[in-house]
Amino acid sequence: MNATVRALVLATIAAAAPAVHAQGFKPTRPIEMVVHTGPGGGNDVLARAIAAMIEKEKLAPVRMQVVNKPGGNGNVFVAYVAEKRGDPHTLGLFTGNMITNMLISTEVKVTLRDLTPIARLVLEPAVIAVKADAPYKTLADFIDDAKKRPGQLKQSGGSITSRDNVVRQLLMRSTGAQWAFISFPGGGERIAALLGGHVNMMVIEPEEAGEHIRAGNMRVLAQVSERRLHGFPNVPTLKEAGFDVPVVPQVRGVVAPPGIPKENVQYWEELFRKLTRTASWQKYLAENQFEDGYLTSAELAAFFDGFSDRMREILGAAGIKTVR
Amino acid sequence: MEILSSLAQGFAVALAPANLLWCFVGVLLGTVIGIMPGLGPPATIAMLLPLTFQMTPAAAMIMLAGIYYGAKYGGSTTSILLNVPGESASVVTCLDGYQMARKGRAGAALGIAAIASFVAGTVGVLGLMLVAPPLARFALAFSSPEYFGLMTLGLALVVLLAGRSVIKALLAALVGLWIASMGTDLFSATSRFTFGQMELLAGIDFIVVAIGVFAIGEVLANIALREGTQLLPVPKGLRNLLPTWQDLKDCRFAFLNGSVVGFLVGVLPGGGSTIASFLSYGLEKAVSRRRGQFGTGVIEGVAAPEGANNSETGGALVPLLTLGIPGSGTTAILLAALVLWGFKPGPLFIPENPTLFWGLVASMYLGNAMLLVLNLPLVPAFAQVLRLPVYVLYPLIFGVSMVGVYSVSGSPFDLALLAAFGLLGYLMRKLDYPTAPLILALALGAGLERALRQSLMMSGGNLAILVERPIAAVMLSLALVVLLIPLVGRLNAWRLRALEPDGG
Amino acid sequence: MGETTNRAADFWSGLALAALGTYIVLEARQWEYLGPEGPGAGFFPLWYGIAMVALSLALVASSALRKPGGGGIDWRNAGRSAAAWLAFAASVAACKLVGFAVSFALLTFFIVAVLYRRPLAVAATVAVAVAAGFQVVFAMALGVSLPSGVLGF
Repeated sequence: MNATVRALVLATIAAAAPAVHAQGFKPTRPIEMVVHTGPGGGNDVLARAIAAMIEKEKLAPVRMQVVNKPGGNGNVFVAYVAEKRGDPHTLGLFTGNMITNMLISTEVKVTLRDLTPIARLVLEPAVIAVKADAPYKTLADFIDDAKKRPGQLKQSGGSITSRDNVVRQLLMRSTGAQWAFISFPGGGERIAALLGGHVNMMVIEPEEAGEHIRAGNMRVLAQVSERRLHGFPNVPTLKEAGFDVPVVPQVRGVVAPPGIPKENVQYWEELFRKLTRTASWQKYLAENQFEDGYLTSAELAAFFDGFSDRMREILGAAGIKTVR
Repeated sequence: MEILSSLAQGFAVALAPANLLWCFVGVLLGTVIGIMPGLGPPATIAMLLPLTFQMTPAAAMIMLAGIYYGAKYGGSTTSILLNVPGESASVVTCLDGYQMARKGRAGAALGIAAIASFVAGTVGVLGLMLVAPPLARFALAFSSPEYFGLMTLGLALVVLLAGRSVIKALLAALVGLWIASMGTDLFSATSRFTFGQMELLAGIDFIVVAIGVFAIGEVLANIALREGTQLLPVPKGLRNLLPTWQDLKDCRFAFLNGSVVGFLVGVLPGGGSTIASFLSYGLEKAVSRRRGQFGTGVIEGVAAPEGANNSETGGALVPLLTLGIPGSGTTAILLAALVLWGFKPGPLFIPENPTLFWGLVASMYLGNAMLLVLNLPLVPAFAQVLRLPVYVLYPLIFGVSMVGVYSVSGSPFDLALLAAFGLLGYLMRKLDYPTAPLILALALGAGLERALRQSLMMSGGNLAILVERPIAAVMLSLALVVLLIPLVGRLNAWRLRALEPDGG
Repeated sequence: MGETTNRAADFWSGLALAALGTYIVLEARQWEYLGPEGPGAGFFPLWYGIAMVALSLALVASSALRKPGGGGIDWRNAGRSAAAWLAFAASVAACKLVGFAVSFALLTFFIVAVLYRRPLAVAATVAVAVAAGFQVVFAMALGVSLPSGVLGF
């Protein structure tokens, strides 16, 4: 067989392969993308952006509409998607917090693990920031000060199960330093506490910190990410700064109701795989300083397992009771 | 002066025909949707946000500001006419506004709400314009110990709202604190009082309790009266459908009170319009000569909270536009919107985007004026709702309550809670327990506990932190003064009685 | 000039609140009172629970010691309120089954026809008009989602 024929045969097979895929499921109604926040919340904004991109890049024959199911710390969302068992036109956006939340509450009857994992989409890195006039130039400075005055330094953050506290627990364990954690329910209050000098340090999303740094009110000591973010080329990652702690990411991704057929799952997987390869998606990631965290359905299931185990261990060490 | 020239440029932007139109549309849509109970400014803005994607950032910001004001005003309409709080901040308006409607003064109440909103809203924008940067820095000095003082002051107002029995008012407040602590504790991730229900993990929505206790409870109590076509009195004649000059005179302090309190509370990150309206109402009651009549239909009791509600808008924009810190749910959505358009609100926002900022300020003046112009003529029309026979009005209230609650969360469980709190509201009325303290404690309870625990964490367990900082100390002293007012009143009454000649 | 509220009402509601307060205190004891980083979840509930018990017992005591008399509670028409509440609760429960429009129409019908003794034709008209009005204004015009049941709306 000469080269041309071989090339033709290969080309035909390559062309036929997607056709085989396409024989499976195709949506015929608008897709419902369910989120656990109200309008304007984190996942709501992401869902709308995804819907807009899918439409722009013509990745699906139907529209995607966002459905808000807030309440119960994300549990109303999980229960709603679970109720739609077998429905091929429903999807949901999850956050990693839902795994953590299900570990600590007995009231939850249906958990994220009962849903079908489709894809992990983004990793949200964070940076460790202090007020600009603080005496710390590096993270090591802060840790040293914390060791000298155990329990005196303070960090503002979200709830005790949030990533802010996870980073703190990991750092405290690995260095032996000790500092207090003060929870504030809103991002604005956390920043105000830092800028007002009421706390010494906080873990903050790079996007939120950007303007304060530009105005000279905040300084970033280290970044909680695997690689340096392009917005912070001169700030060391945790590992580079000498702290050998795992980077526990804040993740967002897609799940589907339980009990959907395999072709359905494959269709969704393919849809999101294509989405993450588009230029619009890359632009979106760059604008929001997210990291591409794409995982396939099977990989996501494995990630959930690993993440649960890791969280269970961290929460236990922090003194929080886990019930499953 | 530089400010005047910047403002002039801002008006040039705001008065552009397209922008003017969007301002009008925003105020109109905001009012209409805000009338729906449960749908307050956050939900309204979020709903209409997609409409703004096609517009220029200036036009979009102007429309959103119009929606913000409109929604806040719209919330007071159902509060006054139907005793159904349109949104959390309008709950206080129910107290005197609905009573005014029952006495046939619905028009005056609606009118004064519009006027107070205009006056205080304008003051709020003035504040934003003139004192934003120094005030923002001041706001940063305000942290948990100061919040604790502020919340305690708010709760001390319970005593003023007591009515006849202080013990019952305190008990109602304690029940409110209990409801406020239902859910997942922020600091320890413990679930408290969730009775095994996963819907309770995030706590009970304030508006569900408010609508249940106020609206449903009131209807259940009134349905007991057998009178068939009992209509609420609607006086004829335009003179009676709008506030009188005497009314405006009575509200002089309320306008000032609402403007200042609302603006200052709005500036604090974490302070919201609900707290602003409660504090303003409490302050008005504390200094009023006819303090005992509050709760029976006193017009200042409508003017103060409605004013505070609107000037809070200007205040909340201070931390947002000068520091990039959203102070409330609504400003968080505005922040997201600004980011979507490519702006980055932060300390450098105003210096780098002067046209947008001053255009926004100018449009807020216009929005306030439009609110007044649009809504005052509608007042007589709205007041006609009260002409409906009660057997139509009461199902209407039920329906509006159900839709309002469901539209906020989409959860049938919240509807069940609505029924439960309706029953509670009915029982409280029957057993003569005042409902306002429960609602007040519910609004402030979570914040109070959080502020206390945060403060103690900051000081490492030392209670002194609550009194050693100047602002916190001032707040707590004021709270003490408030607690003493009824005591002084009682002492006076006792003294007067002691001076009376004995016997007959 | 004393209190004019009924002493029986105060007595029994005071007891009920004392029971609630006791429950709160018992639950609060199960949670952490003072942790290493500050007050725990049990701190606040314990104190307001104790306050509730104390105040409600004071209420019970004051009502027991008061001379009998003063206005009684008018329970005569409570039956109407109870019926109205049961209808409301049933309507809420029915929303999931038959949807908002139908259950709300039924509720309205009940109120007009049974509670206010209007002719059935009037009741039916009002019920249908109001339910349809809600459906049009909220579901269609404003796009607010209303509970829908098996009938699809």
